[in-house]
Amino acid sequence: MEQVIIITGILLIILGIFGIIRSRNLVKIVLAFTLFNTGLNILMISIGYIRNAGAPILSQIPGQGEIPNIVDPVPQALVLTAIVIGLGVTALMLAYVLKLYQDKGTLDINSFKDLKW
Amino acid sequence: MVGPIYIIVIALGIAFTLGLLGKASKSAGWVFVLAGLAAMTFISAQWLVALLEGSIQGIQIFTAGYKPPYSISLQMGLEEAILTTLINSLGLLSLLYLGKEMVQKGVEILMVFMVFIMSMNVTIMTRDIFNLFVFLEIETIALSGLILLIGRKTAFQAGIKYLIISGIASGLLLIGIILAYSHVGTLDINGIASANNGLFRIAPIAGFLILISFIIELKPFPANGWGIDVYSASHPGIGALISGASATTGLYLLYKVLPVAGEEYLYFITLIGAITFIGSNLTGTAQSQPNRLLGYSSIGQVGLVTMILGLQPILGDRTLYLAFTIIISHYAAKAGLFWISGMVNSSSIKDWSILRKKPLLLVLFGAFILALIGFPPFPSFNGKWEILMKLGESNQYHWIAVILAGSFIEAIYLIKWLGYAIKLDEPVENQSNFHLTKQIPVWIMGLVLFGMGYYLNPFTHYAEAINYIPLLFALLLFAIDFLPVSIKNTITIAGLAYYFMLLWPAVEGDLLRQIFLVMFLGGGILTLLAGYSKKGKRPGFYSMAILMYAGLAGLLTAKGMYDFFFSWEVMTAGSYFLIIRGKRSLPHAYSYMLFSIGGAYLILGGFAIAAASLNGTSLSALSMVTVLPTWVYALIAVGFMTKTASLGLHIWLPGAHGEAESDVSPMVSAILLKAGVFGLLLLFISIGATNPHSQEIWYVLGWIGAITTLMGNMSAAFQEDAKRLLAYSSIAQLGYILFAFSMMTHIGWLAGFTYTINHFLFKAILFLIIGAIVVKLGTHNMYEMGGMIKKMPFSFIAVLISIIVIGGIPPLSGFAGKWLFYNAILEKGWYFQGALIFFAGIIAFLYLFKLIFSVFLGQVKDNHRNMKEISAWVLIPSYILIIGIMLFSAFPKDVLTPISEMIMPYFTSETLVWDGTKAMTSMGYWDGSTIMIVVGTAFMLLLGWLIVLSAKAQKVEQFNIVYAAERPFRPETTHVSHNIYAGYKKAIGFLVSPVITVFWDQASTFVLDFAGWIRRIYSGSIQNYAIHVIFYIVVFYLISLGGL
Repeated sequence: MEQVIIITGILLIILGIFGIIRSRNLVKIVLAFTLFNTGLNILMISIGYIRNAGAPILSQIPGQGEIPNIVDPVPQALVLTAIVIGLGVTALMLAYVLKLYQDKGTLDINSFKDLKW
Repeated sequence: MVGPIYIIVIALGIAFTLGLLGKASKSAGWVFVLAGLAAMTFISAQWLVALLEGSIQGIQIFTAGYKPPYSISLQMGLEEAILTTLINSLGLLSLLYLGKEMVQKGVEILMVFMVFIMSMNVTIMTRDIFNLFVFLEIETIALSGLILLIGRKTAFQAGIKYLIISGIASGLLLIGIILAYSHVGTLDINGIASANNGLFRIAPIAGFLILISFIIELKPFPANGWGIDVYSASHPGIGALISGASATTGLYLLYKVLPVAGEEYLYFITLIGAITFIGSNLTGTAQSQPNRLLGYSSIGQVGLVTMILGLQPILGDRTLYLAFTIIISHYAAKAGLFWISGMVNSSSIKDWSILRKKPLLLVLFGAFILALIGFPPFPSFNGKWEILMKLGESNQYHWIAVILAGSFIEAIYLIKWLGYAIKLDEPVENQSNFHLTKQIPVWIMGLVLFGMGYYLNPFTHYAEAINYIPLLFALLLFAIDFLPVSIKNTITIAGLAYYFMLLWPAVEGDLLRQIFLVMFLGGGILTLLAGYSKKGKRPGFYSMAILMYAGLAGLLTAKGMYDFFFSWEVMTAGSYFLIIRGKRSLPHAYSYMLFSIGGAYLILGGFAIAAASLNGTSLSALSMVTVLPTWVYALIAVGFMTKTASLGLHIWLPGAHGEAESDVSPMVSAILLKAGVFGLLLLFISIGATNPHSQEIWYVLGWIGAITTLMGNMSAAFQEDAKRLLAYSSIAQLGYILFAFSMMTHIGWLAGFTYTINHFLFKAILFLIIGAIVVKLGTHNMYEMGGMIKKMPFSFIAVLISIIVIGGIPPLSGFAGKWLFYNAILEKGWYFQGALIFFAGIIAFLYLFKLIFSVFLGQVKDNHRNMKEISAWVLIPSYILIIGIMLFSAFPKDVLTPISEMIMPYFTSETLVWDGTKAMTSMGYWDGSTIMIVVGTAFMLLLGWLIVLSAKAQKVEQFNIVYAAERPFRPETTHVSHNIYAGYKKAIGFLVSPVITVFWDQASTFVLDFAGWIRRIYSGSIQNYAIHVIFYIVVFYLISLGGL
């Protein structure tokens, strides 16, 4: 099962990168970027996973009673942060896409090559 | 002591408060942020000061009192204090610079600005790798926000490229972080580094991913099209921040995560840095848009620092200091340049000539450019020096070559740019805006640059203390630049005279240096006398003249290679600014500077390899070179030969000397060329006559000298331009000198010294007088002159005496030189070379005759009928020099005997024996004093006879002649002086066809074309750039697997 999730994550990453490189529409590129991010998050979660362990939510004070069988909470916390950052970046990208569209009236990536050499 | 956490508190507090303030009080918000940045700068600066004093230790703090990963750990040590101070102060100055534009945009941009500065502070201080990732992302978002809020329309394109590429890079970083975490169970950078012992399978890829993502953020060549776009499209005020703050931060982050990846990546980092340093600068050569050019240069400099970080195993605990010397130069220079670019506000570097309206900015512009290339007295000079010496000691010659080559390529476009600003016509249209609040930050960066150069010098290894007094004197002269020429000239002469007296005791008992001191500073005073004939203010002239003379004098007092090279570079910079003053000097000064820098780097390379022999870096270490001696000697010799303009390296000289101002030509010809001679002499003495590693070198140098002489004389004979004729004559004379010294015999060296002294005397006279005549008659072309003998009799006599010396005609000292020369050739047995020299000597008469015939004899041209003698201020130094010639000619023994004694220990070959006034060798004898008396008496008798005869003579009008049954009425028809050697030209002219000029032209065209071809990869497409980055990562992963 973990393998499936890891492979899904990696596939999403590759798909995302492929989309960034191949799409011609700026909005699609942003979407591909979010795919890339989602893949990353899945990969991170799966790396932190411990088989048959529960969610890292503590119902009792640690050190008292039996040790709860939970997955490593750190990757989950990291993913949470990464999702927030991903949201920020995606929003900013969309702001850029809007500005670019206002500038040239198109979303075609090939019409934004004014800066070169 | 205010805790470093307050940097973050202040920044965030202000950013949030700004939101509350709303849009009502824009200016108040700006002042608020300015105060906040000042407070942040204060906090980091007080840590810096306290840590430098050693009154406190660096600290590590944990937020909320937990250990990582449950808290964030921040560290404030010396490194962090330095960098946060740099970043916060740059933020402060940037905000000041952006002032009005920021206020107009509203409070949002101020918030983003504050967050941007804060994020860099945190990335520097944090020791937690995930926290590092978070604030790196915040930095990216904030920077993109800044670009979006204050940028042109093209900046939007750059911004989205930046977002996408750094998104990919940070995705990789995230994978690396999680893999590393799953491996070692901590996010603490030190923890990961200490746990990464390479036993676990997963670590290498994690290390690689973390490392490569930081490398990508540094915009490595060639996967950096997106980065250059950001530089070129952003507002210059933001560009300054990216270049000064972001890049600095990025480099420190790379340094910080290096231990996470492990030592096996260090070579790989060096390689990446090297490729970037060379590649980015190379592509920069084809660029003409200022901001984009600065981008290429920034990335190149970052590449250099990356290299330094990778060279840790060699540089050891000096790595950070050395990286800092480059970073601080880059920080100050690049921020200043971006800010100036914003003020000039043009899309072409050619429009920077507008800076001439702001002399202080122009001077700072020059300082920034020179600091980037690595000229003294800036920190980068110290840094590069120590790096190269360290590399030499560790036998890392290929890295020496890379650093020197990259620096040279950078100079190609930076010097071109500087020349444009100094020389091109001011642009017709300009949108420049030199508001005071925009200028002040630039001034401060200038101060930082000079101050740090001064401050860091004592910390540099292999460096000696530098005498800054002459440099301060140059600065003083710049401060009083508003005064008229006569006052500044007097002050300069007084300064040189004082310096001469000051240095004389220092060279006491060292005849070699005494001779050159007299030539350098004595000659300097004499040529400066001619300056009294100039009118106006000559802005900048005297500062630069002092720089050149300070450099020249410094060569003589230098004890170590560092002093010597420092002075060499100061002299080069000063002379460049003197040469470029001529009306049409732009291209010639440019090629002079490139040859000089190239030559200087060869010398530096030679010094660095000499360090491999582990004998230290005093000049005397050159005599004990045991590792690659032939290379060391050849590199240094070729370096000096760029200054003596030997064949192949001479193409800059005719233009540089020919087009220079009338009193600059004698300075750079009679005096400056001798610097190369002095260098060669030092080298030759160090090598020693019997050194087995250098016999081939001398043989080759001898041939080069002989051919240089022949080519120089032939080219001189075919010149129509009077000053270029003299310039080619200099090339030829320096060929003689090179030849004479290369013989490495006692008499050969005596001949060399005689030629050196003679050339100093007569070339100063000729350039002074011909230069003044050229100005007076308003033409360089000799065929447009004529008949000046009666208008300018004193000039005529001076020129006549000079050409008698050049021609080697008795009784003057030129004959002494020739006599010694041929004796030495016969003794040495260099017959073929000797034949060339002999032939060249005959050709010399052609150009000497042409000079005196075309200018002084023949017919006065119609437009010159009212000409008078040239200024007395030119004649006075000339006649003082003539007295020198006469004394040397009459009493050669008094000069040659001490020289003979000085060089006695170096050679076992035959010496010159004196019998009274008679000089004798096995070949024959010569008696200078007697010849002088005999010829002098004969001359006086003939002169008296002529005067007696001419009492009865009848004056003849100019056209009182009948010429082939025709009465000429124009002077040109009776004074044919254009192309008078057409016949010879037909016969041997092909020998002087400009093959070498063509060669260098094609070499430079090739470099530019190549650069133009490489930069086609920067197609402007986001997707191509993404592919570049991915491809780059894959390639370097494969390379790293390959076990580099």
